[in-house]
Amino acid sequence: MNASADWEELVSTALVGTDRRPLPGEGASEVELLGHAAVHTLRMRAGRRPIAPGEPPALAAPEERPEVSRAAGDRLARVLGGEQPRLLTEWLETAAGRGYRLSPHLLPELLDHAARDRSIRPYLGVLAGNRGRWLAGLNPAWGFLLEEVTGVAATGSEPTSQVWEFGTSGDRRVHLGELRTADPTRARELLAATWEKEGPDDRAAFLEALSAGLSPEDEPFLESALDDRRREVRHQAADLLTRLPGSRLALRMAERVARYVTVAGGEIHVDPPVACDSTMERDGIRAKAPRGTGERGWWLQQAVARTPLEVWPRLLGRPPRELVRMKIVDWSREVMAGWVRAAVLQGDPEWALELFAWDPIADLLAALPRDRQESVAADFVRRHGLDGQLIMVLGGAAAPWGPALATAVLQKIIEVSGTQPWNLGELTKLAGERIDPALHDMAGRLSLEPSIQEVAALLRFRDDMLKELTQ
Amino acid sequence: MIERWNRDQVLALAPDASSQKAAGTISSPGKWSGAGVTADAVWGECAGSGSKPYRACVDLSEPAYRCSCPSRKFPCKHALGLLLLWSANGVPAAEEVADWVGEWLDGRRDRAARAAEAGATRAARSGEAGPADSRRAALREQRVAAGLSDLERWLADQIRQGLAGSRRHDQWDDLVKRLIDAQAPAVAGSLSRLNTVLDGDDWPARLLSEYALLHLLCVAHRSLSAPADGGVDGGVGDGSGNVPEVAPAGLLERVRDRVGFSVTKEEVLAGEPVRDLWDVLGRRDEEHDRLIARRVWLRGRRTGRAALVLSFAPVGQALDASLVTGTTVDADLAFYPGSTPLRAVVAARYDTAHDAAPSGPPPGLTIERALDEVAEALAGDPWLDSWPLVLEGVTPAGSGSRLLAGPSGGLPLQESVGTPWRLVATSGGHPLTVAAEWTPRGLRPLTTWDEEGRVITL
Repeated sequence: MNASADWEELVSTALVGTDRRPLPGEGASEVELLGHAAVHTLRMRAGRRPIAPGEPPALAAPEERPEVSRAAGDRLARVLGGEQPRLLTEWLETAAGRGYRLSPHLLPELLDHAARDRSIRPYLGVLAGNRGRWLAGLNPAWGFLLEEVTGVAATGSEPTSQVWEFGTSGDRRVHLGELRTADPTRARELLAATWEKEGPDDRAAFLEALSAGLSPEDEPFLESALDDRRREVRHQAADLLTRLPGSRLALRMAERVARYVTVAGGEIHVDPPVACDSTMERDGIRAKAPRGTGERGWWLQQAVARTPLEVWPRLLGRPPRELVRMKIVDWSREVMAGWVRAAVLQGDPEWALELFAWDPIADLLAALPRDRQESVAADFVRRHGLDGQLIMVLGGAAAPWGPALATAVLQKIIEVSGTQPWNLGELTKLAGERIDPALHDMAGRLSLEPSIQEVAALLRFRDDMLKELTQ
Repeated sequence: MIERWNRDQVLALAPDASSQKAAGTISSPGKWSGAGVTADAVWGECAGSGSKPYRACVDLSEPAYRCSCPSRKFPCKHALGLLLLWSANGVPAAEEVADWVGEWLDGRRDRAARAAEAGATRAARSGEAGPADSRRAALREQRVAAGLSDLERWLADQIRQGLAGSRRHDQWDDLVKRLIDAQAPAVAGSLSRLNTVLDGDDWPARLLSEYALLHLLCVAHRSLSAPADGGVDGGVGDGSGNVPEVAPAGLLERVRDRVGFSVTKEEVLAGEPVRDLWDVLGRRDEEHDRLIARRVWLRGRRTGRAALVLSFAPVGQALDASLVTGTTVDADLAFYPGSTPLRAVVAARYDTAHDAAPSGPPPGLTIERALDEVAEALAGDPWLDSWPLVLEGVTPAGSGSRLLAGPSGGLPLQESVGTPWRLVATSGGHPLTVAAEWTPRGLRPLTTWDEEGRVITL
């Protein structure tokens, strides 16, 4: 017996049984068969030769960016392994911002993570490097990486038209954003030239880039985008036009609200629209109200939200500070909600500050300049009890929190730990994640209260983490 | 100074996943006070729920662990957390160990010395067996021989009646019990593991191979235990006859090991030790009947020898964690007797200065050389189902990267491995050194080294 055909023969004989199909020759067939099978098995195991591997794998392109330090990579592995998992985004954002790439062996785990969690994908475009894109080419589950920003646009070494023509959509977005900062007109013209060929998702994303350096010159282009097929694009265009007080959309909105809202006898009187016509819809007002909301109020609120805020003092003859405190007869909630939305959309700090006093929400806090954010938030923390709203508002204060806000929050933690320590979890975590990590010594010395020590430990972890990413 | 282990290496020491997680939560510097590290020990105090902090200490040279906490896990989360902190460069270097650490280290070294002495005495005494012992031994020989001929007849029956009707997972239960009663536990174990064979499409071929190898074991045991009898029916070699006249040295011991005659550790230690710089290639834990078997694979730098250090612990309890993947240890290994010696115990460890994570991979073999080595190993131990290899200049290749390929061809990976993405990512299409476990069903990658020589567990 010698070839594999004989092995097949042995297997089929064993399946049927030697009682029915005896092996040729003398002696006990079954014993002979087992003996032969043992020899075959060992020949197959010991005699194995290499097989043709087929096409050799394509080589990953060499890397252009430096690899993160070993310590930084180890820390990322710790975070991925479940230690301080909420710091993953900060690690990735910092490392990507500093132009690093990951050690290759960390990529599969992180790409798997990003396949489930979209929010971290943009950082991976840079961090994954060429090795990551090579892997994404091998595993369709990681294909999303090929659309992310690779960072070539930012290096400035590539001829710009190349990126715009051949880059990933992420790279093109970055490229457009950079061109917009340097030369707003050229950026708009570049976008207008390929506008018709862009996919709907890209059109909405590219339009967003125009928010930097927005000027009346952009109006005709944006006005034409109001007729786009895709709702996201129309809304983005309407949002931008709202921020151009002299635009036709702004004028149309001002005209509309002048018909709905008037001042008489120190009160604001409101008469909302009775129908939503096609011109309103074109200007970004959605006709269909969400379930449980009255249509008239819904249209009113949207019209107010899309009206340039500087219209109001002119129209109603009072500064914002007084307007937000005036009595509004009926429809008060809708008008105020519209103003809040407008202040957020238009990033108007004056209105945002006035409205925050009425409705402290995170978006309004975020619309304030950085230094005001800190003092307003610190003040809010001192005056407000620990509840869900406090946590939400703090979410609007941009990290890292400076000493004023940090101290206010840490004092709040000390205060609450005496009365309702079971409620501290989220505030403690948020403090550890948002306070400037350089303040870890200050935090640690403030109190021996375990929650404070926990914040301090988390700050120290982040401080080390950020230092590792500077090396 | 021992080079710091990386995080993976530390976590690999944990007895279970929950310990890994718990260790992670106490590995920040804020949790520790009075921590320090010298050339071969790291220690610190970790505040627990009680008033006194727990004192944890690791003797890096073994490694060995000690902690004042009541946990029965080993190493406990404090020892692991401390090692993680050290791994992240969070433990300051110290000139001298703390007093309480010094006491422990001294105590350990005294005990180790006494144990070595006692072991030597026991080994010396074990040569003298009383008459009761020899009667017991003779009785066992009879039982085993009867059990194996029972098995031999059973196997022959299976083949006579045909395997087609035998695809039942419980068909071996009775036989396994009889073999245990016959005091042949190892062969009972191999039989009870056969149910995994039935899962694949090619189960008839695999089952036939397994039955044939069991048959071979029975025949070999019969012939080698009673060489005077000469020609017994059935066997190996030419398909009809006996074990070859020139059997490899140690084949009897190998057969007895496969049957289930155990050799005491003292007997093993009494053998000639092999000193070498042993690269710890990787390890694998396997659970059988609430018992975890840990296999740690080693290769000697100077001798090129392969070794397997096997240890056991009940589920949830500490396994031997003294050999850290990616390190090189200067040690004496004592091998269990038998042709193709593989299983070994660490008899002595030397100067820990070599216990560094070596910079770069251990020397490796080409695929052809590795296959030759496996063939040679199989010649001495036909029942071998696992062998550690270090393959040099191989690339994950083929469809789904399911091959490790060298210049002249590739070897398939075991099916259960899937696409080894970590290995693929590290390679980027370039050849690497990969430590892998050879099995009859394909390679199982254990460890690789990246272009900077860092060890990467797969």
